[in-house]
Amino acid sequence: MTAIAAKPQAGSAMNPAAMAVGIVLLIILIGIAYVLSPGLGLMALIGVIIGGVMIGFGVHFVPVGGAPAAMGQAPGIATGVAMLAAGAGLAGLFGGAWAADQGLVIAVITGGIGGGLMMAITCMMVNFVYVFGMGIPAASGKVLKDPITGDSQPEYKSQGTEGHGLPFVSFVGGVIGGILGGAGGTLIYIELLDLYKATFPTLMGASATQVLPLAISLAGVFAIGMFLVNAVLTAYNITGTIEGPHDPKFKRWPRAIVASAVASALCGLAAILIVVPLAI
Amino acid sequence: MEHIVFGIGITALAGALATVAGSAEDTESNIGSQGDPNSQVQLAPQMGHLHRIFNKAVAGEPPAYALWCALGAGLAWAFLAMQVNAVLAIVLGSILAVFVQGVYATTAYLGRTASLSKFGQPVYVDILKSMTTVAMAHAFVAIFCTVTICYLINTALGHPFPLPLLGFIWGIALGAAGSATGNPYYGKERQYQNQKFGAGVPISASGNIVCYAEAGERNSLDNGFFTAKFGGPASGLCFGLIVFLELWRTILFEQVGAGWGAIIVGILIILIFTIIDRYIEVWARKNYGPYTAPAKEAAP
Repeated sequence: MTAIAAKPQAGSAMNPAAMAVGIVLLIILIGIAYVLSPGLGLMALIGVIIGGVMIGFGVHFVPVGGAPAAMGQAPGIATGVAMLAAGAGLAGLFGGAWAADQGLVIAVITGGIGGGLMMAITCMMVNFVYVFGMGIPAASGKVLKDPITGDSQPEYKSQGTEGHGLPFVSFVGGVIGGILGGAGGTLIYIELLDLYKATFPTLMGASATQVLPLAISLAGVFAIGMFLVNAVLTAYNITGTIEGPHDPKFKRWPRAIVASAVASALCGLAAILIVVPLAI
Repeated sequence: MEHIVFGIGITALAGALATVAGSAEDTESNIGSQGDPNSQVQLAPQMGHLHRIFNKAVAGEPPAYALWCALGAGLAWAFLAMQVNAVLAIVLGSILAVFVQGVYATTAYLGRTASLSKFGQPVYVDILKSMTTVAMAHAFVAIFCTVTICYLINTALGHPFPLPLLGFIWGIALGAAGSATGNPYYGKERQYQNQKFGAGVPISASGNIVCYAEAGERNSLDNGFFTAKFGGPASGLCFGLIVFLELWRTILFEQVGAGWGAIIVGILIILIFTIIDRYIEVWARKNYGPYTAPAKEAAP
């Protein structure tokens, strides 16, 4: 058996006990938020958890080929999972934060579209380089036919490789991943911003206008931090490379959802506790 | 109206700066061999191919550029707070960030290459002297352009995020776009110039990188010279399009339909790129055809 064939089988390592522990932890963390700050704090935490789950789920869609993709040895984008997802998601957060004044729905969708736009351009340019710079057509190594276009894949695959470039399904996966990441990051930002805008004036004895730059900066830093936490967690779940939604590894998403929810709840609680005084 | 025209001008300038930044970023990372193809630079000595290629991949391009751009933007912000002229503040911030990049490149090269001593790979001091400064110069261009974009977005377009945060966000996006677009060209097309054009590198050939140039041994400046002709501009185009279109749709259409205008235009742009991508994919399948194994030369 080769080293490649010896990789653990995708989706075969679901651990119900660990999932149950994760859910219990999540309930405990939400309970703590409910006790400490039943109104704004709890709502912010729930928003943060939903945003984190969206990021964790979205990263599974992004076709990441890592080092093998850089030599045309595997399909996907030639960079790391967490890095590419962070690039797209933070580009989305940039747009979402700009639209924060226009309400939660508009801001979250704008953030999602910003992430999707970044991924659409990047994925197109990846195929551009493969086709016009290297003369290599796209070919998947995981499926015989592209699930969207029905194009057959194996005959376009170079000998001795797992495929190369971005088949259409991977492109679509990348855009969906960017949309979910951008929307999730923006949701976290908006929820924390609302919380800080409401609590900072009383906490610091200053006017709403005076605390606004601090609230924006802090919410932005926390949103970026939580984005990276969720992207890196999911990168561990993916273990290296993934072609997109058609890859067998995509089936691992449930455990990433639970892990992302718990991690987001813990990080979110820390972000909330800085403005909620503890009754000690 | 004046506000919109001003916004479009700033958007165009930011897009042009982003194109230069993307191009410089990719060339810098190829000279430093920082992207994913670095795995082959690290592997080559283990396969018996000793080389004179720089090797500073102790972090991926996106986090590295996030650090340098955030640092440049943060320092520029501090200088601006000290009432220093904006251009000077950005230049000084970028210069200081580049010094950090230089320290990073030096220690990374020494560390990574020294770890290969058991395979006989020497640490070349002349490579360290000649490559580090060239990588730093390209990094300066990339960081300066990105910090300037952030300054324009913050000051002229009124984005709420402070300069260091924008530096972090656009630094990570710059690294992501540059590595995604530029890496395959450096990895396959340059390092494996001995492989057939139009096919991926067989996994069995891993580590068998080209170590010789037209005259003497190949070094990273040769690699930068090669990739600057296609991989660099392609990365620049990628990052330039991202920055320009993201700003353009917001500036022109944000006020249309209470924010829905920018969203609809964003969806339309995504659809246009989807069609272009599909066209490229189909074009390649039609024109290049299925993979055919190279014919073996007949024995004389």
